[in-house]
Amino acid sequence: MHFQNPHRPQSTSLKSLAQSIIIHRQLIVEMIKREVVGRYKGSAFGLAWSFLNPVLMLTIYTFVFSIVFKARWGDSGSDSKTQFALLVFVGMIVQGLFTEALNRAPGIILGNVNYVKKVVFPLEILPIISLGAALFHATVSLFVMIIGFAVINHYLNWTMIFIPLVFAPLVIFTLGITWVLASLGVFVRDVGQTIGILTTVLMFMSPVFYPVSALPPKFQTWMMFNPLTFIIEQSRSVLIVGQTPDWYGLGIYTLVAVLVLWFGYAWFQKTRKGFADVL
Amino acid sequence: MPMSSNEIAIKVESLGKRFEIYDQPGDRLKQFVWPRVRRFVGQKSSQQYFQEFWALKNVTFEVKKGQTFGVVGRNGSGKSTLLQIICGTLNPTSGRIGIHGRVAALLELGSGFNPEFTGRENVYLNASVLGLSNREIDDRFEEIVKFADIGEFINQPTKTYSSGMMVRLAFAVIAHVDADILVVDEALAVGDAVFTQKCMRFIREFQQKGTLLFVSHDMGAIQNICESAMWLSHGKVMQIGDSKTVAEAYLQHTLQEAYGDKAVLASTSDDSLDTCADIAKPSPALLNYESVLTYTDNLSNAKGWSTGSAEIIGIELTKLGEGAGPIFIGGEVVCLKIHALSSIALDQPILGFILKDRLGQDLFGENTLAFTSLKKTEISANQKFFGEFIFRLPMLPNGEYMLMASVANGTQYDNVQHHHLHNVLIINVSSSKVRYGLVGIAFDKVKIGVIDD
Repeated sequence: MHFQNPHRPQSTSLKSLAQSIIIHRQLIVEMIKREVVGRYKGSAFGLAWSFLNPVLMLTIYTFVFSIVFKARWGDSGSDSKTQFALLVFVGMIVQGLFTEALNRAPGIILGNVNYVKKVVFPLEILPIISLGAALFHATVSLFVMIIGFAVINHYLNWTMIFIPLVFAPLVIFTLGITWVLASLGVFVRDVGQTIGILTTVLMFMSPVFYPVSALPPKFQTWMMFNPLTFIIEQSRSVLIVGQTPDWYGLGIYTLVAVLVLWFGYAWFQKTRKGFADVL
Repeated sequence: MPMSSNEIAIKVESLGKRFEIYDQPGDRLKQFVWPRVRRFVGQKSSQQYFQEFWALKNVTFEVKKGQTFGVVGRNGSGKSTLLQIICGTLNPTSGRIGIHGRVAALLELGSGFNPEFTGRENVYLNASVLGLSNREIDDRFEEIVKFADIGEFINQPTKTYSSGMMVRLAFAVIAHVDADILVVDEALAVGDAVFTQKCMRFIREFQQKGTLLFVSHDMGAIQNICESAMWLSHGKVMQIGDSKTVAEAYLQHTLQEAYGDKAVLASTSDDSLDTCADIAKPSPALLNYESVLTYTDNLSNAKGWSTGSAEIIGIELTKLGEGAGPIFIGGEVVCLKIHALSSIALDQPILGFILKDRLGQDLFGENTLAFTSLKKTEISANQKFFGEFIFRLPMLPNGEYMLMASVANGTQYDNVQHHHLHNVLIINVSSSKVRYGLVGIAFDKVKIGVIDD
């Protein structure tokens, strides 16, 4: 035993992050469960809502896009009108995961003042928990989408087994952003307001309701700077088109995502000292 | 931090804490950005956008291992800030701090509880944050629940708890995490008498092995529990020393703040000479302290230990004379009767009681030994018997009091305690005007006179 300084600087290395996750794995799993179940607490259907929600959404999309709008997917798109709903739905799942994580990020620390001021809590795991809950809902939606695909087309693409690999870099990237926003939200309360607008803009600036190929070529390049574009396109290709992912692109995306993760984590660890002063 | 000795648990060196107070939220952003930008372009840092407030300034002290250290001071003197810094939730602006061992803290109400989670979930959450594995918590969960004693509420969200229940649960958790250093911030003020007593029993036990940092406004508790104490005023250390000296100095200071400097300097002139004669005369009390005293029979919930051979089966407190009723005001003659049942024969039965205040301090008590040693009453097996104590009830300051009762057999030097119950009666005193000391007495005469030289 030796003297410990309770205020020694928090490590910013990815190794310390891995250690924290391993040490607190039970806590993380328990709190994600809480978060998921807690959302439907008091409702009659309970957890079934996390399944009913995407089913209803998919039904509505199918009705609106195939019957009301009679929409066609770009120029090259398939003939099936129901296919349009599935394509939009995949886009919505990816975009929904990102949006949910981002919208909640600025409030993660603000909403847990007790953990900042009254106990020595591993605050760095709070964004992981928030993202974990969002990921759970995205996974349920994905299952609904796959079932919907099977019902409509009477077959499944074997390439859908790659979907975890397509999602992984997005999850890593989102976590990095979440740490930054969780910290910023404490110091600058306006972040919470800004993010809501930003994510709405991002939804229309992402190829959710249209394919990238529907845009004029000079916009297409710009579109690729949107972190969602590549993931949405790749998800569609493995789930609906039946192509293997663009491994080269995924590799580069992952590399950038890890850098963002590191930056976000380091930012959070450096700024967390100031939380208690401001809250 | 260099380690000088293994004997020190907490070491604080010239600690300072500055809070930055901003008039507008935008100023915080300016302060965050501008000095950095200016430094970046090579200019000297400009104006400050905040007013500063030093909650702590140059605080230095040490707490030895196993010591109980009290912190006193008025509201806003920096006590809670200091504790938060020691626990690591708040960062110091200057100075150094070293902690030797695992700290568990009870800062304000319901430390770190999530109001949406149930008591059970919060226990698991809090205990795992304090370093226990799930399995360890499983093993201790029953004990924690028993200690907190909040019944079915353990499965309810903590937002439905009363503040007393919150503290009970929080205290129960930190009492079961094997901390080396316990930090308790005025937590005992909210619990009821039964729980406060339980905490005091725990604290006294904990003092044998661990270090305790204790904040309270109750100078009695500080003197009673702590060996040494520190007095903080406006973030600065006024005095560090043994708890009695510090508590008295602090009390005198607060008196002066409240009544002006003359409060202490004016000594009471003692003209008792001409009043001595009157004292012998019995007379009704001059000043009615108006304390209203009621009690609840807690026999069925009382905790204690028993050999199983003899047990206390009933207890009653009645007023003698006119005006009998459940409300007492102090000063009247009462009869305390303890009923017991023995399954074995007792040759020298002893029945006794002690009245304790909420801190567990013995106020008064008696047993039948001294009064019955000449005239023995033998009890045969399976016989009910009783002990009767008739006395003048003292006037008590406001608060809850507990009556401890026991039945034993033997002599003063050699006896067997058969049944010992901690809280058989809970006595509640309200609207008391007793201002000083642990008990009030009926004064026959008080006056001020002028001495002509």
